[in-house]
Amino acid sequence: MGMDAARLEKFRKLPIDGQAMKRLIDAGVTWLRTNKETVNALNVFPVPDGDTGTNMTLTMQAAWNEIKDLGTRNLSEMAAAVSKGALMGARGNSGVITSQILRGFSRGLRENPILDKETFVRALCEARDTAYKGVVRPVEGTILTVIKEVAGAAEAALNSAQDAVEILEVAVQAADAAVKKTPELLPVLKQAGVVDSGGKGLFFILEGMLRHVYGQSLEMPLSQVQPLSSMNLQGALEEVEEGQDYEVVVDFIPKGELNLQSFYGKLEEMGTSIQVGEGEGMYRMHIHVPTENRYLPIDYIMGLGTVTKVAIENLLAQMDDIQNSQANQIPFNAVEPGNIAIVVVSPGLGLSRIFASLGAAAVVEGGQTMNPSTQDILNSFENLPTDKVIILPNNKNIILAANQAKEVTVKQVQVVPSRTVPQGLSAMLSFLADGDLKDVAEKMTRALESVSTGEITIATRSVEIDGVAVQDGQVIGLLDGKLAVAAESVQQGVMALLEKAGAAERELITLFYGEELPHTEAHRIADVVREAYPSLEIEVQEGGQPHYQFLISIE
Amino acid sequence: MGDETTTLGAIHIAPSAVATIAYHAVLESYGVVGLAPKNLADGIVSTITREPSRGITVRYKEDKIDIDLHIIVEYGTRINSVAQSVANTVRFHVEKALGLRVNSVNVHVAGLRVSADN
Repeated sequence: MGMDAARLEKFRKLPIDGQAMKRLIDAGVTWLRTNKETVNALNVFPVPDGDTGTNMTLTMQAAWNEIKDLGTRNLSEMAAAVSKGALMGARGNSGVITSQILRGFSRGLRENPILDKETFVRALCEARDTAYKGVVRPVEGTILTVIKEVAGAAEAALNSAQDAVEILEVAVQAADAAVKKTPELLPVLKQAGVVDSGGKGLFFILEGMLRHVYGQSLEMPLSQVQPLSSMNLQGALEEVEEGQDYEVVVDFIPKGELNLQSFYGKLEEMGTSIQVGEGEGMYRMHIHVPTENRYLPIDYIMGLGTVTKVAIENLLAQMDDIQNSQANQIPFNAVEPGNIAIVVVSPGLGLSRIFASLGAAAVVEGGQTMNPSTQDILNSFENLPTDKVIILPNNKNIILAANQAKEVTVKQVQVVPSRTVPQGLSAMLSFLADGDLKDVAEKMTRALESVSTGEITIATRSVEIDGVAVQDGQVIGLLDGKLAVAAESVQQGVMALLEKAGAAERELITLFYGEELPHTEAHRIADVVREAYPSLEIEVQEGGQPHYQFLISIE
Repeated sequence: MGDETTTLGAIHIAPSAVATIAYHAVLESYGVVGLAPKNLADGIVSTITREPSRGITVRYKEDKIDIDLHIIVEYGTRINSVAQSVANTVRFHVEKALGLRVNSVNVHVAGLRVSADN
């Protein structure tokens, strides 16, 4: 991909007229299109500009469409057509700015039929001035900064420069430097670890022109290399192809310049899903390869430079993990250091999610039939970045373990003795993360009494307790831990239990259905409840708890 | 609305506060060179006004925010693209600052500014 010296010489001898400009624009558009995805990958905002690379390419494409059949040798006429095409086709913020740059450029030519160095510099300065006129409060660290630096550098080089080609060389260098500087000027870029996308697009347009002058290829994207921070290896993992069983990631520092074209060529012989990232001289290569090839990329890269890290993973095994972890992920609240963290014991995934949505920082799995140990509870909060912890045991049999955890940790722990899940949920509503630990715990404890708990399950033996006779296999309902009703069906049990709880006098009933109850059945029963208690609010949530068809919160 | 009830009490966000956020977003939007007073009865298009609420109307409807922008656009830009960009930018910044959903951003191009050398 080196420069073609003879071609450069020839280009320098000929005047840059309208037709030469047309080919330069073509090269700029082509090179931008080739690198479109690189520019797209730099977007940091979900809005406002959509995909900058796509927008700028479409804008430049519109400029090209305007001139592609234009035969004029007059530079100014050609540039005026470019400007018009870009204006008509401007897409997105970056496209509008690009069109303004081209408009200023065209105007700066001042009817000159040939691009000499003076005209070129004047046009670049006019491009800058026009671009800056379009906004009240210019944001630095964007494409505006890049055209400003380009024009400034071109101006400074005017006297020493031999010709317009040298001005173009200066412009490309200045654009490159300005793009690299954008994160220093615009904090959001720095946070995202990227450079400005619009500025990078402008750089590609200028560089494409220079590559045309040098006779370099415009089709092979130089920059399939992306910033390290934007490499999405998680995403790549989800597209595992058959036969590509191993993922190999190699971090390395190349000896000298890395020839990306041959690097990619070689990797493509070995496997798929190739990604290469670069950051401060260090490269990361990612590839999926068949089992027998798993050491090839490492051996190959060791010949190119210093390998600093190698990771090989079996994708098929990893795929299963990812799928499992995604299905089971619970979005816990991040705990601010110094704030109170809530640890809850939850018998089901659905309930864990609900607790998390209310602000719980960690969950210990457990419930009626699987009481967690003191150690399980300790483990859940020992690593949280705070000293203040409130535990909600959510089961009367777990309160003891929670109190023991409190005794053996150095952290300040309060146990809010919730005996049931609905009590725990209702306590969560009084939770205040930055309050005083004791006060908050007291408030939460008081909240426990505001709710009655119903539980629907199946009797495992025949017995008579609290005056209720139960047959093995019958549906039973417990109210606040006490056996209250026996019934022939879940629906019947729910209705009998609600009546016993005096639900008609309450306001809100929430039904958390367990893992054994289909959700359609849960909703059907909820509709029956709604009909019987039309003035109450009835909610249905997936609780996911085992053994209990329903946990019912009555408030 | 712009109201939110917390355990401590209610938070009310005045429309003029929303307008200020929108105003700053507008100023940084490329192609927009000014805001126009809503009422152009006198036929004079004033360019940039320092008073944020001028040219920006914010209304609450239930829990949704509607914003109207009356802008002046640089002559020679593609007005459609500029208008879309400013609407996106305003929506983004308001939603980011408030965490509330913006229902609509209506852009009214009240005038064009022709720079001296055009």
